Order: sequence, then C-alpha cells, then structure tokens
Amino acid sequence: MTETSARTETNHLQDLPQGRSLWGDAFHRLRRDRAAVASVIVIGIYAVMAVAASFLHDDFIASKNYKLSNQPPSAQHWLGTDVFGRDVLLKTMLGAKVSMTVGLMANLIAIPLGLILGALAGYFGRRVDDVVVWLYTTLASIPGIMLLIALKYAFQGKVLFRGTPFALDLGGIHGLYIALGVVSWIHTCRVVRAETLKIKELDYVTAARALGEGHARILFFHIIPNLLHLAIILFSLGFVGAITAEVILSFLGLGVEVGTPSWGTMINAARLDLVVGRWWEVTAACTAMFFIVLALNILGDRLRDALDPKLRT
Amino acid sequence: MGAYVVRRLVQAVFTIFGVMVFTFLLFRVIAGDIAAAHLGPKATLQQKKDWAHQHGYDKPLFINTGLEKHKHTVPPGEPWEIRIEAGAPENVSIGGAPAHTVAGVTLVRTEGKRIIYQVAPGEYEFTVRTGQPWYDSQFVKYIVTTATFATRSIITNEKLYSIIVERAPYSLALTVPIMAIGWAAAMFIATIVAYYRGGLLDRVGVFLSVLGMCIPYLAFIIGIQYLMFQIKPTMAYGLANPFNVFVPVGIGVLAGLGGNVRFYRTVVLDETRRDYVRTALAKGLPLRVVMFKHILKNCMLPILTNLILTVPFLIMGSLLLESFFGIPGLGDLLLSSINNRDEPIVSGLTFLTALLYVVANLATDISYVIFDPRVKLS
Repeated sequence: MTETSARTETNHLQDLPQGRSLWGDAFHRLRRDRAAVASVIVIGIYAVMAVAASFLHDDFIASKNYKLSNQPPSAQHWLGTDVFGRDVLLKTMLGAKVSMTVGLMANLIAIPLGLILGALAGYFGRRVDDVVVWLYTTLASIPGIMLLIALKYAFQGKVLFRGTPFALDLGGIHGLYIALGVVSWIHTCRVVRAETLKIKELDYVTAARALGEGHARILFFHIIPNLLHLAIILFSLGFVGAITAEVILSFLGLGVEVGTPSWGTMINAARLDLVVGRWWEVTAACTAMFFIVLALNILGDRLRDALDPKLRT
Repeated sequence: MGAYVVRRLVQAVFTIFGVMVFTFLLFRVIAGDIAAAHLGPKATLQQKKDWAHQHGYDKPLFINTGLEKHKHTVPPGEPWEIRIEAGAPENVSIGGAPAHTVAGVTLVRTEGKRIIYQVAPGEYEFTVRTGQPWYDSQFVKYIVTTATFATRSIITNEKLYSIIVERAPYSLALTVPIMAIGWAAAMFIATIVAYYRGGLLDRVGVFLSVLGMCIPYLAFIIGIQYLMFQIKPTMAYGLANPFNVFVPVGIGVLAGLGGNVRFYRTVVLDETRRDYVRTALAKGLPLRVVMFKHILKNCMLPILTNLILTVPFLIMGSLLLESFFGIPGLGDLLLSSINNRDEPIVSGLTFLTALLYVVANLATDISYVIFDPRVKLS
C-alpha cells in the first residue's frame, strides 16, 4: 500500500513541468531576447577585434610613413590614414583593445572588492559597517570624474615594482585600471551592502546559523552566491562607465601613455582635423565607442530584467 | 528632528575630514617628486631642496618632532667643514652628547644661526633641536589652508579663494542654464512620453534617449562646434559675444537629455502604478489631469534629489565644454593646473567639489524630512 502511494507520488512529480534554476531561466530568457543576443554578438565582435588587432601588426606605434599621411578612406585603407600615415582601422581596433582591457580589468578590481566589503559590512554591521560606510561615503563625496583625475594626477610618472616582471606603470594603463577600480567599487559596495542586510534576515540564513555554521561559511556559501546576479549586472554597467571614463581621461592626456592608440587619444589628436575636412579619424573613434556603449547598455538592461526576479512584472 | 540634523552634521564633518586626509595622502604622499616636476630633470639636489623648503614641502609629513637629523659622511683624507643651521651649538648633538664634545668634531665658529664644524673623516649623524612645535607639519598646514581655501598657486602665487571668486561666475553662467533648461526639457519630454506609454511616441522617445545616452560627450562637442564653424564661425569659440555661451549650453542640455528623459520616465511610470492613481482614474478623472496634477507633484522629490546631487558639477562647470569653447571657468583652471602640475590648486578644487557634494547631500536629506511626511527619523 505504502509502496504504491510512493510510486504515484513520483509519477505525479514527473508530470510536473521541469523546473529551472535562476541562471537557467535567465539564460533562456536572454536567448529568446533578440536585442540581448545582438548585443552579445556586438560585444563578441569587439572582443575578437581587440584580440586580432595585436596579431595584425607588430609595432603599430613606430610604423610611421609620412608619404601616406592623412589619406581619406580608400580601398587600401578602409578608414583612411592618420597624420603619421598609419591605418585608422587598425588604430581603432587597437583602441578597442585598450577599451576592452580597461573595462575588464577595472571591473575585476572593483566587483570583488565591492562584493566582499559590501557583504562584510552588511553581515557584521556595527564597527565593520561604520568603517566601510565611512570609507565609501568619503570616496563617493568626490565626484567620479574628479576622483579619477585626482588619482591619475597623483599617479603621474610612478612605477611600482620597477624592474620586476610585476612592474606596474601607474602613470599609464595600469594606473588607469587601479583608478577606475577605486572609483567604481563604491557603487557595487553600496548595492551589495543593502542586499546583504535583507538576505541575512532570511530564514535560510537563520537556519544555517541555528545549525551552528560559522560566519565565514554563511558568508561565502549562503550569502555571496545569492549576490552573484547583482555582480553580473553591475559588471556589465561598470564596463560602460570604465570605457567612457577611459576615453575622457585619455583625451585629457591622463589616460594611457602618450602615443598608445586609444579612442580618447584618437579624438584628441584629430579634434582640429574636422575643420580642415579630415573627418575619418574622429568619426571612427566616436562610432566605435557608440556601438560598444549601446550594446553594453542594452545587455545590462536585459541582464537586469532576466536576473532580478523582483523587477519582473 | 534637531537630533537628526546634528547627527547628520557630525557625519558630514567626518566625511569632509576623510576627504582632506584622502587628498593629502594622494597629493603629498603618493604623488612623486613635485620639485623635479617644476624645476625640470636637470635640477641639482640643492635646487630641489631649496624649492621644497620655499614651498614647505620639506616639513615633516604628519607630526613635527622638533628634531632634525642630518647625515654626513666625510671621505678619508682632509677634514671637512660642515655648516648646520641650528641657532646655537647646544642645539646640535650626536648620539645624545653635544656635537663638539664628540671625537673628530670641532666647533670652528658661528655665523648668525649657522654653526660651522670641522669634521674628521667618518660617518656622523647630527641631531638638531629645532624647537618647532608639533603642529608645524605638512598635514596640519594642509588641513588649515584647504579648509579656508587659503592655498596658493605654485605658479602665480595667487590665493585659491580669489581665483575661485574670479572664475566661478563663468562656470556658473554655463552650468546653471544647462541644469535648469536640461531639467525642464527632460521633464517635459518624459511626461509626454510617459503619458503615451506603450504607444509609438513612447517607443520612439525611449529609443532616441538610449541613442542619446550612447553618443560620446566628446562627439556632441566636436560635432556641434564643427557645425557652428560652418554656420557662424564667430560663435564657435570664445566669449567675444555674450550670446556665444548658448552654444555650449545647448550642447550640455542635448548631451544630458537622453539619460535624464529615461530616468524621469521611469520615475513617472513607477508613480502611475500607485493606488491613488487608480482611484483617481476610477472616479472618472481624465488621465491628463491625473498625470499633470497628481503624479507630477509626487515625482518631484526623487527628481529634485537627483538634481541636487549634480550641484558639484555646477561649480566645476563642464570641464570639457570650457576647454573646447575657451571659457575661463573653474574646469578650465583645473585642466591647466593639471598640465602645470599646480598641486595646491588641483587638490583645492578636488576638495571644493567634495565639500559641495557633502553639503548638497546634507541639504537633500534634511529637505526630505521637512517635505516628505512619510520619511521617518530613525
């Protein structure tokens, strides 16, 4: 008798539609969303361009050919040439490399930092919370672009660990990663802290505590995994911020090293070219930036819709 | 209420102090050899020392112990003459004993404050008691001068306060209209778009605002400045004609429109899902009336909060706009100070924006308590 009822129950369960995890569900939703798929493809193209650019030319910076200076777009140079006679298409691709690396590295610093500090502050409260909150309110009270400018200004000409394989050129692109990391962990930390405050009161955390699990285990096995969807959303939005900031800083001469091809240095080099009719370099840099920012913005929105069930209507 | 305001004030003071400590660490401790940057790579050690002394960069960083240490190594051979600024011979000691009693060191003479010793070959560490108070350090001076905006430019020796007074009006002439017009335009478009939500106008509006958000700010500036050069070259640069300011203002409004419309639309739509809106519609009020009389009023708080938080940018002006259009405001000052490595000005301006932000934030929080009865003090 008991055996049969158990079997019916199993059959009954099998009849139910297959459940999906949050991630599986999100993946499914994103795959059906044409705009999201298109954005992923665009981002993929930029990533491929960034990787390919490094293989296409050994030494772009030194490859100057004044005979080809400032040529308009042609069959040979699809986007024309710059003032040193270098191919603008290749330059734009190298700019994509800088932008993608900066976006990635800045977030690889900012997201884990914000995630861990935010979770610690929210979970432990009291003194830990006070210190973390004081730290981020202090940093946040300097407007983002000012803070970036101040950091990069202070970093000028500094090289850490000089002469070792880990040399960090703070005046150049490495300083840019760090400065952007320092600026953008604030937002992550704030969001994560607020979410942790909610999660730590939930039943499953109370249950884990009642079972005698330690703080570290609760934090790393129960709380942080439930914050990862936020990390993904913040990552895609942080990427946009990092790319735009890199362009503005490089434009001001505070970004990558002088001479490194980046969209910001391209716009700076060609800002007066438009008046004399040389439109291709500025246009290439601005267009390249427009599409990656558009794709990342759309993807960020769609990720938020797919991953944050509370926002679903 | 009073207790809340006091607590927020205390927090604000802590934040501002934090900003000072942070900028001090950044500009004085992390930022490298400032003397070398000003004197060029060929400057001698003595020139650098003199420069640092003149600008107070040779003082102890945090606390002045009142003791100065000088190391001297005399190579084998003839004894050397060593001059030390100390005031009197009893202020100079080596390893605790008065300097002239140590073997190998003989007091030659004193010239005013300078004491001259003849020193035999060997290594000596002179300790000079300067009698300076503990607070005579870079940190304390930095805090005091920053808080009072009394720092002086390294290049022109002008006081930061008078520079700000002179230049801020230009920045304000640029940013106040940008904020006001930008807010009104975005509010207008967002309300219309939200009114026709789901319709063609809404979708076109959202699409355009996303496009506007993604066009780089630099592209707006360069493109429109180029157009102005084609249409009316006299208006494309400088302030020869007061009307010229409308070009950068237009760019600022246009560049911010996309993001603002999108944000305001979300706020308005969030509000339309509330119960009182349903009730108003159910009792037969037309959507137009509900939208403009009820919803807009309730949307103002989040929107104004958002607006107040942009106040720091008011005074900084728009950095890029000022540099492109040759407007001598504070943003332009910041950029030229960075190029000239005018550290006191860069750090002073950083502090100014932070101060404005903290004050704006404080004002928002307090106005929330005053204007929104739902906000409870905890």
